[in-house]
Amino acid sequence: MQVLVIGLGNPDRGDDAVGVEVARQVAAERPDVTVLEFDDPSEAIDAWEPDDTVVVADAVSSGGHPGDIHVVDAVAQKLPTGRWSAGGTHALGLAAAVEIARALGRLPRSLVVVGVEAKHFGHGTPMADAVAAAVPAAVEAVLTALDDADALLTALDDADAVVASIDDLGGEP
Amino acid sequence: MTHKLNQGDHVLHVDTLARVEGEGGMHVVVKDGLVADVELRIFEPPRFFEAFLRGRAWTEPPDITARICGICPVAYQMSSCLAIEDACGVTVPEEIRLLRRLLYCGEWIESHALHIHLLHAPDFLGYAGAIEMAADHGAIVERGLLLKKTGNALMTLVGGRAIHPVNVRVGGFYRLPTVEELHSIRPALDQARDDAVATVALVGGLEFPDMVQPHEYVALRSPHGYPLESGSVVTSSGRAFDVADFGANVVEEHVARSNALHAHLDGTTPYVVGPLARYALNHDQLGPLAKQAAHDAGLGDECRNPFQSIVVRAVELVHAIDEAARIIDTWDGASAPFVDVPPRAGVGYGATEAPRGLLYHRYELAEDGTILDATIVPPTSQNQPSIEADLRAFVQDRLDLPHEELVRQCEQAIRNYDPCISCATHFLDLTVEEQ
Repeated sequence: MQVLVIGLGNPDRGDDAVGVEVARQVAAERPDVTVLEFDDPSEAIDAWEPDDTVVVADAVSSGGHPGDIHVVDAVAQKLPTGRWSAGGTHALGLAAAVEIARALGRLPRSLVVVGVEAKHFGHGTPMADAVAAAVPAAVEAVLTALDDADALLTALDDADAVVASIDDLGGEP
Repeated sequence: MTHKLNQGDHVLHVDTLARVEGEGGMHVVVKDGLVADVELRIFEPPRFFEAFLRGRAWTEPPDITARICGICPVAYQMSSCLAIEDACGVTVPEEIRLLRRLLYCGEWIESHALHIHLLHAPDFLGYAGAIEMAADHGAIVERGLLLKKTGNALMTLVGGRAIHPVNVRVGGFYRLPTVEELHSIRPALDQARDDAVATVALVGGLEFPDMVQPHEYVALRSPHGYPLESGSVVTSSGRAFDVADFGANVVEEHVARSNALHAHLDGTTPYVVGPLARYALNHDQLGPLAKQAAHDAGLGDECRNPFQSIVVRAVELVHAIDEAARIIDTWDGASAPFVDVPPRAGVGYGATEAPRGLLYHRYELAEDGTILDATIVPPTSQNQPSIEADLRAFVQDRLDLPHEELVRQCEQAIRNYDPCISCATHFLDLTVEEQ
């Protein structure tokens, strides 16, 4: 079991850099966490294992204000398609990658997606001010998601341990 | 939305897969029931990169141009290395060429596996996409993901990492993989080879819309086998020229509606690069297993139905896996990782075969190696006039389809070319205008 943070996006394409930037800042704060960067979301399916705790940071374009932050528990609910990075003719979007993993039974135990509303994706352009300004809050959202997942999984493991010990007691002659 | 043109609509516009900015789009003009024009708008990143490269050092293009595309970074690295080395008058040793070919095989495996199984197969099997297909055909999707993973693993082994490989430099590699490292991937390649042969059989049995392309086919041809990392240019009409003469034979036309440049042979003839062109001009150079798979799938010496590109892509997948295994089996690791490439004033040319077709680079260097000028002609801008020509014929026969179905079929036809409509852009905004 490992704890993974995945930053998605192309750092050279304006607001699309935000997922990678968030992941890099998380890496600086949490050296105990494995941080990966991809601009092809389908890489993520191979990066995680069933027992992993995963948080993905990505740009999202859902028509909201640039810099808005969306947090989705992707194990509990589907990601709306067509809003996340890298889709089109020869790559899969994040939603497609996650939903394929779900259909194949290959989601990790915990998967939270932190999306930052983005708008401009020009090559060689910097992130818009509103998007760059949202990075600290998005980093915080990733760290919170990690803590929440950790607490939940600890509770689940404790519950498993209690069940196991009850079984052990019940199994004694 | 189910409007039909023959119900009196003049302009139809639908956001289908659109998410961002609608950078890719298609506009159809119909006059008196006949398709008068088809325009495909494609955003093209290389234009930005050409400007960005000016003033940079001669050692930088492999790193900079690899960022153009997360799906085919190796293609950009290989073409840029060849062009810079050409400008500097350096030819790399055979071992370096072989390792480049091996790295390129990884990219072909990764890119073709993704396109065949997860992007194009759903079109043929009647699904909106890989998600929907996964529920009914999980094994096909799993096979595609496993093949893609093996391609990624090979790219990581040779290139340092799969996305934007960091181990490539002008003159060779920063570090060579050891024999043991390369042999570690052989079991995965054996599995991949079996899987790819099964995929050729699968896609060979699909039903294909009738279509015959009249276009000229253009590909590299190389003394080193089926073209990937080297070669000179040949065409289906019998032309043959060096990569250095590419600019004299291919004219790029600026089209106002798009920020892409459209390429024509001698300024007039549309042409096709990619799997169909490579196969037509190089099928004799395929390995025995790929040849057998092609034969079993019913492919002849040439395939001119663009919808069957999925079959040719699968045959190339078999070949790339076979070729990777062959290179690994003969690799002894005894070579310097790179040769020095001292700068000099001059012009250099490089072309290699990206998964989706011939990728051409040209650099002009100052004496100290500063880049004075850069030209990058990607496969998709070369294919664009042919894609539009295909669509003109294709749409004409389907004008009475409901709009959504027309969009779906057009997307399938565009996907035949696996076009590089750069990452994070989404197609297809389709507008149909009746005049």
